[in-house]
Amino acid sequence: MRSRRTGTLAAILALGILVAACGDDDDSGATASPETSAPTDDTTAEAPAEGAAPAEGSLTIGFIYVGPKDDFGYNQAAFQGSEAVQAAFPAVTIMQAENVPETAEAEAVMQKMIDDGATLIFATSYGHLEFARNLAADNPDVVFVHQGGLEGEAKLDNLGTYFGTVYEPVYTAGIAAGAATESGTLGYVYAFPIPQTLANINAFTLGAESVNPDVEVITLATGSWCDPGLQAQAAQSLLDQGADVLTQHQDCTKTIIEATEAAGAFTVGYHADASSLAPTGWLTGSEWNWGPLYIDIVQTVIDGGFVASAFNGDYRVGLQTGDNPFVQSAFGSSVDADTVALIDAARERFVTGGSPFSGPVLAQDGSIVFAEGEQPSYEDIETMDFFVEGVIGAIG
Amino acid sequence: MLIESVLAGAVRGGTSMLYPVLGETIAERSGVINLGTEGCMLAGALAAYVVGIETGSVWLGALAGAAAGAALALVHAFMVLSRGSNQIATGLVITFLGLGTTALFGQSYVGQGVNAFAAVPVPGLSEVPFIGRVLFDHDPLTYLSLVAAVVTWFVVFRTRTGMKLRAAGERPEVLEAFGLSPVRIRYVAVVVGGSLAGLGGGQLSTAFTRNWSENMTVGRGFVAVALVIFAAWNPLKAIGGAYLFSGAIALQLELQARGSEISKYLLQAMPYVTVIVVLAVMSRRQLQRSPESLARVLG
Amino acid sequence: MSVETSVHPFDDEPIDEPVDESSQGLTTGAAGLTPGDGTSVTSLASGGAGWGHASAVLRWTFALSAAVVLYGAFLATKGADPVTALEAMWESAFGSTNNLGETLVRAAPILLASLAVVVPARAGLFNIGGEGQLLMGAIGAHGMAMALDGALPRPAALVLAGLGGAALGAAWAAIPVLLKLFTATSEAITSLLLNYIAALVLTWLVFEPWKDPASLGQAYSRELDTTTRLPVIWGERVHLGIVVALIAAVFVWLALRSTSWGFRLQVLGGNEEAARRAGFPVARLTIGAMLVGGALAGLGGFVELAGVEGRLRPEILGGYGYVAFLGSWLARHDPLKAVVASVMLGAIVVGGFGLKIATGLSGGAVDVLMALVLLAILGFAQPRGAR
Repeated sequence: MRSRRTGTLAAILALGILVAACGDDDDSGATASPETSAPTDDTTAEAPAEGAAPAEGSLTIGFIYVGPKDDFGYNQAAFQGSEAVQAAFPAVTIMQAENVPETAEAEAVMQKMIDDGATLIFATSYGHLEFARNLAADNPDVVFVHQGGLEGEAKLDNLGTYFGTVYEPVYTAGIAAGAATESGTLGYVYAFPIPQTLANINAFTLGAESVNPDVEVITLATGSWCDPGLQAQAAQSLLDQGADVLTQHQDCTKTIIEATEAAGAFTVGYHADASSLAPTGWLTGSEWNWGPLYIDIVQTVIDGGFVASAFNGDYRVGLQTGDNPFVQSAFGSSVDADTVALIDAARERFVTGGSPFSGPVLAQDGSIVFAEGEQPSYEDIETMDFFVEGVIGAIG
Repeated sequence: MLIESVLAGAVRGGTSMLYPVLGETIAERSGVINLGTEGCMLAGALAAYVVGIETGSVWLGALAGAAAGAALALVHAFMVLSRGSNQIATGLVITFLGLGTTALFGQSYVGQGVNAFAAVPVPGLSEVPFIGRVLFDHDPLTYLSLVAAVVTWFVVFRTRTGMKLRAAGERPEVLEAFGLSPVRIRYVAVVVGGSLAGLGGGQLSTAFTRNWSENMTVGRGFVAVALVIFAAWNPLKAIGGAYLFSGAIALQLELQARGSEISKYLLQAMPYVTVIVVLAVMSRRQLQRSPESLARVLG
Repeated sequence: MSVETSVHPFDDEPIDEPVDESSQGLTTGAAGLTPGDGTSVTSLASGGAGWGHASAVLRWTFALSAAVVLYGAFLATKGADPVTALEAMWESAFGSTNNLGETLVRAAPILLASLAVVVPARAGLFNIGGEGQLLMGAIGAHGMAMALDGALPRPAALVLAGLGGAALGAAWAAIPVLLKLFTATSEAITSLLLNYIAALVLTWLVFEPWKDPASLGQAYSRELDTTTRLPVIWGERVHLGIVVALIAAVFVWLALRSTSWGFRLQVLGGNEEAARRAGFPVARLTIGAMLVGGALAGLGGFVELAGVEGRLRPEILGGYGYVAFLGSWLARHDPLKAVVASVMLGAIVVGGFGLKIATGLSGGAVDVLMALVLLAILGFAQPRGAR
C-alpha cells in the first residue's frame, strides 16, 4: 500500500508540474505574490499574542460569502460591509472568497486564508458557523466572527457571533403591508425554514395583524436561495391566490419584485432598497448596513480588546441596544402618514424594550407560544421553529 | 381555478423549456444528443440579458442569446463530429463551460435593470375566460415559441431539408449515396439546436424572470433533453413536454399556496418525479420512433 | 477472443482504426453514444502501461498545456493576471503539506464516484447519477451510524457505516438501471434527474426527521460519534478514506482485468448481441454493473461524511458527482488512471480556493478550467476512436 501511495503521489506531482509548466516556474516561494503561504508555524509566531494589539497595517482580514458577492442581496450587503472596512482602515489587507458552500469546503477556504496570514475572519453565512468554530479551536490566535449564528454552550475566546434584530424592520414593514392590502392576503416567498426566516415571516405577519387583524400571509418555499425561474412562478401563484402585497426572504430579489410590480401589486423589499424596480408598488423594506458594525469589530480587534468585548459571544444589536445593521428602507409614495405614524410608534416600542414578539403570541394552531407579558430572548427568537397564527403553509 | 392557474403557469414557465426541447429535437433528429443544452441555455440567458442592457433592445438581446447558444453548440458539434469525442461526456463538459463562463462574465450584471419583454395580451382573445389567461396573455417570445414549434414540425416532416435531417439521423448512408454530407447536416442541426436553447435561456432571463444570476437554469436544460424523449422527437408534442415540467412546478406551488398538508419537500421533488415516471411509462413506445443513431443511448 | 476486434453494433468499421473525415459522419452518431466504445478495448489491451507510452505523454502534455494557456487567456479577459492566478491555484493545491492534503481529501469522493462511472461504462451504461448516489451514500452511512449509536468498536462500526452507504448508493443506482431494463428508459437521463431528487431527500432529512435537536436552528443532522469517524492518517485532514478510495480503485482494476465478471462486462459493453449469444446473463450483468457503481459512489458519500463532514448538511458534496463523471472520462474509464484524474480534479477544486482569494473571481472560474482540460483531453489527447 505504501509503495502504491508513493507512486500515486509521484504521479500527481508529475502531472502538476506538467500543468504548471506553462509559462511560470513553480518556485512560487520566490515570487512576491501575496498569496504565497507562510508555513503555519511562522504564521502562528507572527500572530499577535492573545489580547495584544496588532498594528493596523499587519492585520489581514478574510471574508467568506456563501453566494456571489454581487447578488444584489445578502452577500452583496456583506461584501459592501467589507468595502466599508477597507475604506476605514486603508492599511488593512482584505481577502475575499465568494461561493463558499456551507460544507467542510468552508473550513478549507478559511484555513487557506489563515495560511495566507489572515488573523480575523468574517464568516458571513449562517451555515459557516460550525467550520469557524472548528478552526477557532485549532487557531487560538485568529479571531473568528460569524454572522447570524449562536455560539451556544461551548464558548471560545476567539469566536463570536453578531447579528441585527432583523425582524424589527420586517415587523414594521408588515405594518405597511397590513395597511396597504385590500384583499387581506399577503404573500411571502422563502427558501428554507431556518429560524431567521421563520422569525421574519412571523414578525411580518404580526406587524400586518397589528393593523389588520384578519390578514393572512401565504408562504411559499422555493428550496433555493436564488432560483429566478421558481421565483417567477412562485410570485404568480401568490398573485393567483389574491395576494396583493408580496415580500420574500431570498438572496436574489429582483424577479419577485418585478413580477409583483407588473401585476400591479405592492412590494415589500428585503436586503436592499429596490424601490427603483417597483416605482408604483414599493411600500418599504429592510436593508443591510453592515459597515458601522464591521468597522466596530475590526477596531476592537486592532485595539486588542476582542476577548473582553461584547463581540466575544452572541452579540446582537437592535433598536433597543443601538444601531440595527438592518434598517428600514425608504417608504413608497402609497404609504400614508397614518401608517408612518403607526410604524414610528412600533419602533418607539422596540427602542424602549419591546419586541415584535412580546406576548401574547399564538402559534398557527392557536396554542400560546409566548404568554401575555412574556418578553422572548434573542435565543428564543433565533431558534424559532413555528409559524404564528395567520400564516398559511407548513414548515415540514 | 386551480387548473387555470396551473395551465397558465405551465405556459408561462414552460416557454424557456420549449425552445431547448425544440432545439434538442432537431439535434437529435440528426443523430446528435447535446447535454450541453444546459450550458447553451445559460450562455443564452446571460447574452440576452447583457445585450438587452447594453443596447436597450430586447430583440437584439434575444438574437444575442440565440447566437451565444449557437456558439457553444458549435463547440459541441466540433468536438463530437470533427474530433470524434463522446457525445454524452462532451455535452456535460459543454455545460461546465457554459456554467463557468457565464458565472465569470455575468458577475457585474447581477441585479441590474433590464429592458425586459413585457406581456402583450392578444386583443379580444385574452378576454376569453380560461383560454385567454392560459394562452393569450404572454410575452412575445412565448407566442413565438408556439410558432417555432409548428414551423419546426413543418420543416422536419414536410420539407426536403427535414428529410435530409431525418436521414442524417437514420440512414446516413443514403445521404452519402446522394452525395450529401451527413456531418454537415449534423453540424447545422446541432448549431440550430443550440441557438434555440440560447433563445430559451434568453426568454428565461429577459422575459420570464427579468433577472440574471449564476446557474439560473438549475437543470432546466437537462430536463429539456429528457423531455425530447417524452415528445417522441416530434416538435408539436414538444409543446406538451415543455409544459409538463413547468406545469408540475406550477402545481406544486399552487398546492403550497393553498396550504396543502403535503410535505413541501415532496412537492418540490414532484416535477422531477413526474418527468421520470412519465418517461418510464412512455419510453418503450417512444423508443421505436427514436432516430436510429440515438437508439443505443436511449435504449 | 473477439473482444480485441469487436465492432460496435452501429459501426461500419473497427473502432480503433483511424476514421477519415468523410465517412466518419456515418458512424459518429452511434459511436459517440456508447461509453464503452473503444476506450474499454484499448485500455484493456494496454493495461496500465498507456502512461508510459511516449506519444501519449506528448499528446497529454500538449493538450493540457493548451488548456492551461487558454485558461490563462480567459482569466486575463477578466482582468486577472494569469500567472498570479495560476500560481495561486498551484500553491493552493500543492503548495504545502496541508494544501496537498486538502487536495487528496477532495480527491477521495471524486475517485470513488469516478469508479462509479467506470464500472457501468464497461457494460455500456452511462451513470450520470453519481451526485445522487454520493448523497445517498452519505445518508445511508449516517443512518447506519445513528442506528449503531456507538454500540460497536470503531473498526466494526466503520465497516457497517460504509456498508450502509454502499447499500443505499447501490439502491439509488438500481432505479435507473431497472427503469432501463423494464421500461427502456435511458439510464443517462433518469440517473441525472434522480440527482435533483436525492438532493431534496437530503434537504428534507436535515430539516425534518434527522435534524440535530441541539443545532440551535442550523439545518444539519446529529454529529457522528468517534466510532464512525474515519481516523486522520496524515497531516491535519488526510483521513483513511483516501486509502479506502485507492483500495477500491485497485479492486475495480483487478476485477475488470482479471475476473470473468470483468471479461463479461467487457463483452457486454462492446457488443450486447455477442454477450447474449455467448449465453451471458445480460440483464444480471447490466444491473450488477450499475449496482457496483452505485455502491462505489455510496462509499464516496460515506468517506466524505465519516472523514470530513461528520454530519449531513444540505450542501455536502455539491457538484462532486458531475466532476467525478468528468474524471472517469479523463481516465478513459481506467480505474488506475482515474486515481490520477481524481487527484487532478481535486487539485483544481482546491486550486479554486486560492484562485478566489487571490483574484476575487467567481467560484465558477474553476468550472471553466475543468471544461477546457476535458475538451483538450477528449478531443485532442487520445488516439482517435478512444474518445
